[in-house]
Amino acid sequence: MKVKIRQWNGVASWLWVANDDNCGICRMPFNGCCPDCKVPGDDCPLVWGQCSHCFHMHCILKWLNSQQVQQQCPMCRQEWKFKE
Amino acid sequence: MDEIRMEEDSADISGSAQKQGVADAWETVTAALMSPGCPVPEQGLWDSLALLSGEGLGRLLGGWLLETLQMRLSSAVVPEFWAELKQPENELEERGRAWVLLTAFKTLLGRLEPFLGGLERLESWQDEGRGSLCGPGPGGLQERAFTIIRALLLFSPSSVLQERVLEFYSRTFSVYMHQEGQAEDGVEAPEGPEGGVCPGCGVPSQQCWCKEALEQLKELSHILSKLQLLEWVSCEAVTSILHKLIEQRMEQHCRGEYERSFLLEFQTWLELVLGWLSKVFASEAEKDGLVPAPGAPVLLPIYVNMRIEELFSIIRDFPESKAAIEDLKFCLERTNQRQQLLTSLKSAFESRLLHPGVHTSDILTVYISAIKALRELDPSMVILQVACQPIRKYLRTREDTVRQIVAGLTGDAEGCTDLASELSRGDLVTLEMQDSDEEGADPEDWTPDPTDAVPDKMGSKRRSSDIISLLVSIYGSKDIFIDEYRAVLADRLLQQLNYNTAREIRNVELLKLRFGDSHMHYCEVMLKDMADSRRINSNIREEESRLSEEEQPPLALSSIILSSEFWPTLKEEKLELPPVVCQAMEAYTHRYEKLKAMRTLSWKPHLGSVTLDLELEDRTLTNLSVTPIHAAIILHFQDKSSWTLEELSVKLGAPKELLHRKLALWQQHGVLREEAGGRYYVVETGSSKEKMDRGVMLIDSDEERDSNTTTQSEQREEKLQLFWAYIQAMLTNLDSMTLDRIHSMLRMFVATGPVVTEMDVSELEIFLQRKVREHQLIMSAGVYRLPKAN
Repeated sequence: MKVKIRQWNGVASWLWVANDDNCGICRMPFNGCCPDCKVPGDDCPLVWGQCSHCFHMHCILKWLNSQQVQQQCPMCRQEWKFKE
Repeated sequence: MDEIRMEEDSADISGSAQKQGVADAWETVTAALMSPGCPVPEQGLWDSLALLSGEGLGRLLGGWLLETLQMRLSSAVVPEFWAELKQPENELEERGRAWVLLTAFKTLLGRLEPFLGGLERLESWQDEGRGSLCGPGPGGLQERAFTIIRALLLFSPSSVLQERVLEFYSRTFSVYMHQEGQAEDGVEAPEGPEGGVCPGCGVPSQQCWCKEALEQLKELSHILSKLQLLEWVSCEAVTSILHKLIEQRMEQHCRGEYERSFLLEFQTWLELVLGWLSKVFASEAEKDGLVPAPGAPVLLPIYVNMRIEELFSIIRDFPESKAAIEDLKFCLERTNQRQQLLTSLKSAFESRLLHPGVHTSDILTVYISAIKALRELDPSMVILQVACQPIRKYLRTREDTVRQIVAGLTGDAEGCTDLASELSRGDLVTLEMQDSDEEGADPEDWTPDPTDAVPDKMGSKRRSSDIISLLVSIYGSKDIFIDEYRAVLADRLLQQLNYNTAREIRNVELLKLRFGDSHMHYCEVMLKDMADSRRINSNIREEESRLSEEEQPPLALSSIILSSEFWPTLKEEKLELPPVVCQAMEAYTHRYEKLKAMRTLSWKPHLGSVTLDLELEDRTLTNLSVTPIHAAIILHFQDKSSWTLEELSVKLGAPKELLHRKLALWQQHGVLREEAGGRYYVVETGSSKEKMDRGVMLIDSDEERDSNTTTQSEQREEKLQLFWAYIQAMLTNLDSMTLDRIHSMLRMFVATGPVVTEMDVSELEIFLQRKVREHQLIMSAGVYRLPKAN
């Protein structure tokens, strides 16, 4: 017997490769989106800092904008630098 | 009589000449009154009367006359009348009986006429103001005489009279109706027009006595009214005839006929009946100037009764039965039968609809018709609200209600197209109830609720008639519906092969109009996932096509990529796919990761669909569309032609029962066969024997299309489980609490949580009781507490 597969339609869910499930700022799941967004994924991406913490981009930007003096990672208080 | 003697004796004393005059006068008067045969000149009578009343005997005269009448009646007239009425027994036919009836009354009249004549003369003398003949007591002489006649005659009426009268009136009625050309539809003439039977009197035409009957009717009415017996003898008969006829007519004409209105028809028919009535009560009418008209007040309740009895069927047939509903509405406003309608309809629902034998979609269909029909019937919606309460309550207990409603909304359910069209009407009835008390309505237009309205805090303005709102509100919350819709949508999307979502997009847009954007947001993301997946797929395809020949993937794999947070919880099933598929998936994931930085894919191996061809030695099966697990199974058989269930189970990482069920599909196709010891073989050559086996296999295969999402009750269970944490915390702090307290606390504290609004006390109680059975909770004296940890 020979089986010839013409088409295989699979189902998968995407997820961020992050070391945590929830965003440390908004506490929403990374695979969801930040409270200001409606659509996850491309429209509400994650960003990583050099301290290896990651957040929703919108969340960390909001946080950084609210910091007058020095821009720190909200988790580890190191200076925040985007990981390239 | 003795008294009179005494009076006469006392009169003797006053003088013999006068005595002689009085005695003569007495003679004259009594003779004149008793025997009309010997005419006494009017003047002589008047003189004698004056003399008598001058002597103070006037009063006695009245008494004597009535006394005589009474004696005559009881000794002779009444027995004679009854004897005459009963005399012929069974020998006579109807016509004869009618004649006997008439004669009996004729004789009666003949016997009583002298008295009546005498009374009349006395009365007229009295009316001229020449003296009073009445004894003490109310009423005039004549009136008293008639009372005596009635009392004695009808003191012990035999049923014969009633029967005869009824028969006679029925006959004359049918004769009359026929003559008016309206005894239509052969109601009275089952033999048909050519049968030689007169439809009026029901005997062969040559012996027809229609005319005679009508004359007899006239005569009888005349006699009866003369004796003032009409009301007593005929009323009952006439009323019962009318009732019977109206009922009969309705049975024949209206039962089961809902598509036209009958009220007008009845109006004309009634007018005809009134014609007959006026014949019966002819003389009466002349006197009083009015015909008793039992028309509408009698007819409507009968009609309403019948319609109420049939209301369930009428509702089921709506909108074809609109005419019947309108009739009923018209009548209900005039008869006081709302309560009856409610009770009857409720019990009809309960006995005919709300039992396990009825499919949920059928219940929904009837409910929808009921909404439509009853909002016609009662614009205040009170009947709808009250009568359908049992349906709503019952639907709440059915597991698949929500799914059916959602299927109806999306136009998936067969037969239940109402909902889809209702939805696509798309008028902007938001489910957000308007909370403002004044909606610009004129206070002058306010009408109070009918008395049978259920007093609730909602008030009349909340009594919605919108079908979708009503259905959605069965559960008191739209969240359940949205969740269920999401589940249905997920199923539909996952079963698709071609990312075609046009129809779903339309549905979601329509639902957005009703439920509001925010509630449908998750569904929108799901649809967007579909579009994104298509794009990603074509991207990856393109990339693959640039590869050289030998690098081409062994498997054409495409994928639906979900945003897991936005899809309903998908069933988790373990399944190890064959290496070739796994490799393809890995390659796909790899490409995806390149496409979307820092993201990866988590495959759901059991979901999706596979199209494949099977090449066997003597035949090929092409374009089979199966689930991944089917494909995985058959792929394993490609490498090795026989497997036991255990081996497969290990290889696929799936439970044996599941595999056994899935294998049935291939057995059905005649590709595999099972042999003793639970070993499956590939059937390379299809022989007739295998075909026979296939027939057998068809029976025990139960390949149903499982839903990919968890069911609503499972989800509910999960949510209740969530409350358990709260309950435990509360009980730890507060030691013991009653059911109501727990419920209200939950309401207070978990208000922001998922579903507390739709959980009622009884549901909580069931949940807590289960916890008690599981020894996680102790209940005593009405309070719950946690078991002591020891």
